[in-house]
Amino acid sequence: MTERFNWKRTRAMAKKEAFHILRDPYTLALALGMPIFMVVIYGLAIDFNVKNIALAVTDSDQTQSSRRLIDTFGSSKYFLIKSARSPLEAQNDVASEQARATLIIPPEFEKDLHSGRTAQIQMLLDGADSSTVGPVAGYVGGIQAIASKRLANFDPPSPYQIRTRFLFNPELNSRWFVVPGLTVVVMAILSILLTALTVAREWENGSMELLLSTPVQPLEIIIGKLTPYGLLCIIAVTSVFIIARTVFGVPFEGNIFVFGAGCLLFLVTYLAQGLLISVVTRNQQVAMQFSMLTGFLPSQLLSGFIFPIASMPIFFRYFTMIFPARWFMKIARDTFLKGSDLPSLLAPFLALSLICIWMIRQSTRKFKRDLER
Amino acid sequence: MNRTLLGFIRKELIQSLRDPRMKFLLFVVPCVQMTLFGVAVSNEVKNIRLAAIYDSKDYVMRDIYQRAIAGKWFLPADPSTEQDPFKLIQSGKADAVLIAPPGGLTRGIGRGNAPIQLLADATNVLQGQAVENYLKIIIAQVVKDDLKISSPPPPIQFDLRVLYNPSLETAIFMVPGVMCTLMVMTTMMLAMVAIVREKEMGTFETLISAPVSRAEVIYGKTIPYVILGMSNLPLVLSVAIFIFHVPMRGSLLVLCLAAFVFICTCVAMGTLISTFCKNQQQASLASFLFMFPAMMFSGLMFPLENMPPAIKWIAYLDPLAHYMGLLRNIMLKGGGFNYVVLHVSVLAVMALVCILVSFRRFHTTLQ
Repeated sequence: MTERFNWKRTRAMAKKEAFHILRDPYTLALALGMPIFMVVIYGLAIDFNVKNIALAVTDSDQTQSSRRLIDTFGSSKYFLIKSARSPLEAQNDVASEQARATLIIPPEFEKDLHSGRTAQIQMLLDGADSSTVGPVAGYVGGIQAIASKRLANFDPPSPYQIRTRFLFNPELNSRWFVVPGLTVVVMAILSILLTALTVAREWENGSMELLLSTPVQPLEIIIGKLTPYGLLCIIAVTSVFIIARTVFGVPFEGNIFVFGAGCLLFLVTYLAQGLLISVVTRNQQVAMQFSMLTGFLPSQLLSGFIFPIASMPIFFRYFTMIFPARWFMKIARDTFLKGSDLPSLLAPFLALSLICIWMIRQSTRKFKRDLER
Repeated sequence: MNRTLLGFIRKELIQSLRDPRMKFLLFVVPCVQMTLFGVAVSNEVKNIRLAAIYDSKDYVMRDIYQRAIAGKWFLPADPSTEQDPFKLIQSGKADAVLIAPPGGLTRGIGRGNAPIQLLADATNVLQGQAVENYLKIIIAQVVKDDLKISSPPPPIQFDLRVLYNPSLETAIFMVPGVMCTLMVMTTMMLAMVAIVREKEMGTFETLISAPVSRAEVIYGKTIPYVILGMSNLPLVLSVAIFIFHVPMRGSLLVLCLAAFVFICTCVAMGTLISTFCKNQQQASLASFLFMFPAMMFSGLMFPLENMPPAIKWIAYLDPLAHYMGLLRNIMLKGGGFNYVVLHVSVLAVMALVCILVSFRRFHTTLQ
């Protein structure tokens, strides 16, 4: 019974699976088209520098000064001015999502300004959309300085200056931030989903039992079935990489081999996870939901892709460590932007390897045990 | 309602709930997920590791650093032997380094020439921006307190007030978003896979040859998932309200109506997509292809205002974006009549179009 691992049979398995993929151009197109589509859309649409904030303005003063103040807001490119007849109307605009903030200029504005009193201006911000509150508050500080200078010639010299240098992404380009992370998300989705579904399908159709009764060894089945999907993922991630570099000009400072090693490790981990899911569930519908929950959502929300891990409550800073996506996210971003080498990425690599080994062990074990029953 | 349809719905419900794991996935997991993501996910930047390089006699700089560390935004960076600020960030030991001007900040301010250098790791754009904003505030305060430099206040003062969520609790903002992502996942995908599975197994042909009409087949395959989706609503809603204290300022009835229309839209879209798929694998991939942009254009992760107009129109086609807006508007703002009516009707129109097209496609595929 203990026959040796046979490469020829494995190759045959892989070939059969590859034909399976190629015969179904729909799957192929989705698997390869989706990543490209995602990179392009992400690259074009994402911008974290909040702009075009709709500002409902009520000008009860109607003087030159008040108009110049509104103009200061309008010319800052951050705000889109939308006039409202009364403060109440302005607030209603916020309630009905017509505006994100209101600016209410009191009737005595110019008088106050000219007589040397401080002119108080009320602004209401829409707290229901917290992603704009922070930036708006920041912009208002800048506008306060500009308006004070323009309207009242108020420009005291600051006793100090802050010179900020943004390292690794000097222009705070959102694309540089998002696109490297996208390689992780793309791989996570494709690898886990494709394997979970294909293997679950074999179980569901009962063809897995059939396969196992043939002289093919379980390990050969696993490797043979998963290799084509692994290749598909590699093609997908390569195309993402090429588009990122050529179309969006995202820099790649690090060593391509370090990134590649991270990719492979991550890929194997997720393939194993997909296998584990399929063996446990044996049903495509359940397998899909599980891969959603354990692959898609964590890789988007808990990996540090958008929401920083350091900001999470302490429990989650440790909890996220069980997700391979978190570690690969670090590897991908640091090799892309920081140019980190292997020694400085030792921790993520180690963690990823550990998770990888554990996943492989669990999935092959479960696979074998299920056969014996 | 006729008996065939009722029987159909019953069969479908039993079939999807037969698997205990499915029950678990449908009812327990969304609540757990919502709790997890609601607690974990926030776009507020905190716990930035800050290092500062200054002379021990430079007390203003020392105060700045200490004040920064004392607040919730910054943590002290790993105190190591590394002195090169660039390497400190490169190696990941610090996220930002503050460097006092030559000769010290205390003396520099006296001279009126004190360039403070700030190096910030901008691999994460949001964090880079936040570091600069936070430190500006802290430095201004410390300089004012320590040196008693009372520059006259600017003549124009803005009185900023945050409506609806004054303490800026991120959960209040995020939870409705997460809620609607979870709802679309369960309802749409379930409906889709259920239809495609029949196709894959060839039982669809059997169904067609049975004495049921096409409408009965389609309704029988979709209504159960609307029911399942709606039965999910009280669960996730109570998690939002009781665990995260998301206010419920609007009417519960309006919210339920919006949720109902949204779920119908999701199921209808699922049905439509499933008419293009031959097997479950295709269906899953297609639903991912849908989910990914849908999540992106929903406004959960990225502000929609920023998108270029050429791309922004996609957001108008995204049911998630409408529903996310509705949820936030109804829960946090009380739900303006015009807003709710507009977006609910957009969702309803989407649902109708999808159902009509799927009817037609069923027709043609069966011929």
